[in-house]
Amino acid sequence: MTPALELHEVTAGYRRQDVLCGLSLTVAEGEWVALLGPNGAGKSTLFRVLTGLHPAAAGTLRLFGRDLRAIRPAERARLVAVVPQELATPMAFTVEELVTLGRLSVLSRWARPVAADRRIMERAMAYTDVLELRDRPYDELSGGEQQRVAIALALAQEPRLILLDEPTAHLDINHRLEILQLIERLNVERKLTVLLISHDLNLAAEFCGRLVLLDHGRIVADGPPAAVLREDLLREVYHCDLRVRPDAAGTPVVAPDRKPKSIPPGQTVRVHVICGGGSGLELLRHLRLAGHQVTCGVLNAGDSDARAAAALDAELALEEPFSPIGDAALDRARQLAAGASAVVLCDVPFGPGNVVNLTLAEEALARGARVLINSHQLDRRDFTPGREALPRLTSLFACGALPWLRLDEVLAQLAAGRPPSKSAG
Amino acid sequence: MRKSWIPWLLLAVAPLVLGGALLIGPTPVALLDPHTALGRAVLLLRLNRVGAGFAVGAALAGAGVVLQALLRNPLAEPYVLGVSSGAALGAALAIFFGLTTLGALVLPASAFTLGLATMALVYALGSHHGAPSLYGLLLSGVIVSAVASSLLMLLISLAPVEGLHSITWWMLGNLQSASGPLLAGCVALMAIAGGGVWLFARELDALTLGREMAHHLGARPGLVVGLGLAGATLLTAAAVALAGLIGFVGLVVPHVMRSLIGPAHRRLLPAAALAGGLLLVLCDALARTVAAPLEVPVGVVTALLGGPFFIVVLRRRRKAGWVE
Repeated sequence: MTPALELHEVTAGYRRQDVLCGLSLTVAEGEWVALLGPNGAGKSTLFRVLTGLHPAAAGTLRLFGRDLRAIRPAERARLVAVVPQELATPMAFTVEELVTLGRLSVLSRWARPVAADRRIMERAMAYTDVLELRDRPYDELSGGEQQRVAIALALAQEPRLILLDEPTAHLDINHRLEILQLIERLNVERKLTVLLISHDLNLAAEFCGRLVLLDHGRIVADGPPAAVLREDLLREVYHCDLRVRPDAAGTPVVAPDRKPKSIPPGQTVRVHVICGGGSGLELLRHLRLAGHQVTCGVLNAGDSDARAAAALDAELALEEPFSPIGDAALDRARQLAAGASAVVLCDVPFGPGNVVNLTLAEEALARGARVLINSHQLDRRDFTPGREALPRLTSLFACGALPWLRLDEVLAQLAAGRPPSKSAG
Repeated sequence: MRKSWIPWLLLAVAPLVLGGALLIGPTPVALLDPHTALGRAVLLLRLNRVGAGFAVGAALAGAGVVLQALLRNPLAEPYVLGVSSGAALGAALAIFFGLTTLGALVLPASAFTLGLATMALVYALGSHHGAPSLYGLLLSGVIVSAVASSLLMLLISLAPVEGLHSITWWMLGNLQSASGPLLAGCVALMAIAGGGVWLFARELDALTLGREMAHHLGARPGLVVGLGLAGATLLTAAAVALAGLIGFVGLVVPHVMRSLIGPAHRRLLPAAALAGGLLLVLCDALARTVAAPLEVPVGVVTALLGGPFFIVVLRRRRKAGWVE
């Protein structure tokens, strides 16, 4: 099958500098490819070259096997359609009037749209769910609706390849998903070849089977999300610190790596966190952001808190998944907690498997370290057979442990320095 | 809310307006009797005048519609952009050098030549990196228009007494002088230009989305802009050759019609032409009667009407079918 798009050694640019430098790319019919890259990488220029808006200085460019330069504008409009970042007109056209323009290259100059054209327009509007908006002025629609109209306009061209230039840049997350799901349907059901420029690496990874990373007019990576969204590669291309972690379903997720705030060394402390089941996620992150040194455990390997702690480079005491905490792990946690000036207990339930973690708090308190305990519904967190956790927690409070409910209380306590020394009970 | 019945209403009242305008004038109605030589002469004069009024109004409104779409500018209009002044200068040069005796189309041809040159100049002056800006076009239009008007003044001061009167006319705007052949020639040019532009109506729609989007939709933006500007200039030049400088019809009518029936040009263009023709016929009737037996130049009437409208549009662009 002839590829939808074939670029060979394409060079293009503006007066002084080349924006695309010998770029080669082949896109098979029916593929959905996301073009990624920092601003100025050449993504938009590539689009302009693909539609013949900007001439290529060198190289060959084939659309469905045909040399782009040999294709007349009206024919080209039936092969490639473009959805811009924002479709805007200064005049108050209705939705239907705009969608009609998708048939521009086909309609007779002398006559109104014939039934066949109207059917195509209606199908495009039905597909994008704007049929009931057809008589509404376009400028009065919401951002998501306007973008659906822009896609309907492109569909009315009945193209085989659709180019989308950051179609979701101005939309909120809900409408982003809606538009991308619509594109997904076009790709799957209508076998439309899709080329999408996106700055949202995560959504691109979520939806597109193939990512192409551009930098300085060259392709630096091309392949499935896991092969393209690599920390080393992205750091180099985007010139910033970021982290890539697989999400629950295995799709890589890119997030900026915030540097901890530089707090004077004297004010940062070493904190040991006792958590589990996601109860420590927020706290761990904020402790790291505040610059504190964090240790954590005992946790079961694979616990969401354990993953988060590892991602934050916190030292961990780990037990096998779904196993009660054994002596080896507890000893490891003891070592970690021994160096901490504070131990923080999160809103974690206690059962026979993890109740030994309370020992860490008791020992810390005895040592004179601060102990902060989340006091949210304490009586409902005791799942031990002999209800032993609750009395131990109560006696911890009696011996000087402090209750907390909100993150900022913990951070304030830690920042306040050592509390007035209290003789260990 | 769109009012799609408006064009039909205009079509229905058109015979009334045109017929009524035939009956108005300094000479009593009874003299219109086509059986007497005098009656025939008066009737012919009035027919010419009403016909010229309608053609000029329609052409100016059409030119306004096209320019506003091409330049994506709600204030674009042949008069404001200086095209009218340029065309008038061309016409005045033809009169000054006595070229008008060479044929009926010499006047519109020289008006078109200088009008086109003016348009190109204003476009070039009002653009930044090839993209015309709203206020840039207005400013350069005002400047170029002022220069063209000064050159007109120069011609008037240099002209022999008998030429003076006819040149002064271009400055004022007047429907009195249309001779049969000139009228026929200009109407033919207007029909060609207007019809030609109408065939590109959907491309005009597409161009309001920007040149890039028009390109993606399969139009040839460069060609359409060129043809459209030439068409609008030809419409203006023919109107100026017939009636001199008549301002604001090209501004008021497109705005009102766009807000009534929407901006789609296949409908807007003929509807605005119809409305513009009727409006100018009405204005001319007013010009003939308001200070009877004296006549006020119709350009004065339209300017008095259009000036305030221009200010309103400038201040409230959202109304009248414009978004920005």
